[in-house]
Amino acid sequence: MEHGGWTYQMVLALCVPLSLALAAAASAFGLSRSVSTALEAISRQPEAADKIQLAMIIGCALIEALTIYVLVIAAILQAKITG
Amino acid sequence: MAVEAVAGHAAEAAESSIPELSNLLSVLGGRLHRNPVVAFLHHYENPVFAIFVALIIIAIAWRYGRRPAALPRGGQNVLELFVESMDNFVQSISGSSGREHVPFIGTLFLYIWFMNLAVLIPGLKSPTSSLNTTIGLAIVVFFYVQSVGVRKLGWAKYFDHLAGSPRGVVGWVLVPLMLPLHVLGEFIKPVSLSLRLGFNVFAEDVLLAVLVGLGISLGLAMRLPVGLPLQVFVIPLVLIFSTVQALVFSLLSTVYIALMSPHEAHGHH
Repeated sequence: MEHGGWTYQMVLALCVPLSLALAAAASAFGLSRSVSTALEAISRQPEAADKIQLAMIIGCALIEALTIYVLVIAAILQAKITG
Repeated sequence: MAVEAVAGHAAEAAESSIPELSNLLSVLGGRLHRNPVVAFLHHYENPVFAIFVALIIIAIAWRYGRRPAALPRGGQNVLELFVESMDNFVQSISGSSGREHVPFIGTLFLYIWFMNLAVLIPGLKSPTSSLNTTIGLAIVVFFYVQSVGVRKLGWAKYFDHLAGSPRGVVGWVLVPLMLPLHVLGEFIKPVSLSLRLGFNVFAEDVLLAVLVGLGISLGLAMRLPVGLPLQVFVIPLVLIFSTVQALVFSLLSTVYIALMSPHEAHGHH
């Protein structure tokens, strides 16, 4: 279905990388907040560094998972761009 | 590395959708696809590699875990280190009453960890890169958590927990809201576990495959006999993420078990 000459492949080619960039930017915001808070906490209490680092790694994995969902959908849709 | 490079190129040329590394079974299945045994094994390559990883873990445990010496040395030391760290890990979340779940969580972590790392060995494939395997693992965790709830709490307290522990008038009025939400939450938890693990490992797989293809193209462009091993730049990332995803899966399973257990370990609700 064309509206003013746009095909669905053109729309996909525009939107798929854009969505991925948006997900990456949002995840970068979230991760930067979590890592910076963890660093402040470690600097305040160096003997608890191991526990704080563990909690930070787990938090980062959970945030990263959301970006990975978007990446997989983008990979699936990208195959449809060239029909 | 050269074999993997050539095989990866063959895989990329075969289907132009998402690039994936070839493994032993896909190469065999490509060559001997008329043989029913090879076709069967190729179709079920995820369970085959999952069983293979399980056999490797069994072999390691058999070799180093039988007739444990009072003074551990060598391989037994490594096994004891692993068991002790899993023990501390589970106890840090669910208290000392959670010690009976350490075998389950420890096995889960080790199995998922080894399956995630299997893609680094040329010729193997991570079974966890497919949603089928991860959903199977998440279903196991789901039934284990529910059975722990029913066993520890008894049927009455289990449903009471699911309904949000109604105590006063407000609690009882909110039950028609809390009960469906809780039940839905119990079903959503394994879905999120499986999707997180599966997509992460699949993304690592695709990353390795894309870099292998890129290395081959670069090698061909520079007229070398083999492709450049560009994937070594990303192997530390794969190592870290495989471990972290196995850790997150086991951690969340432990948290769900702790939430379902009697409430002396944590205090909310």
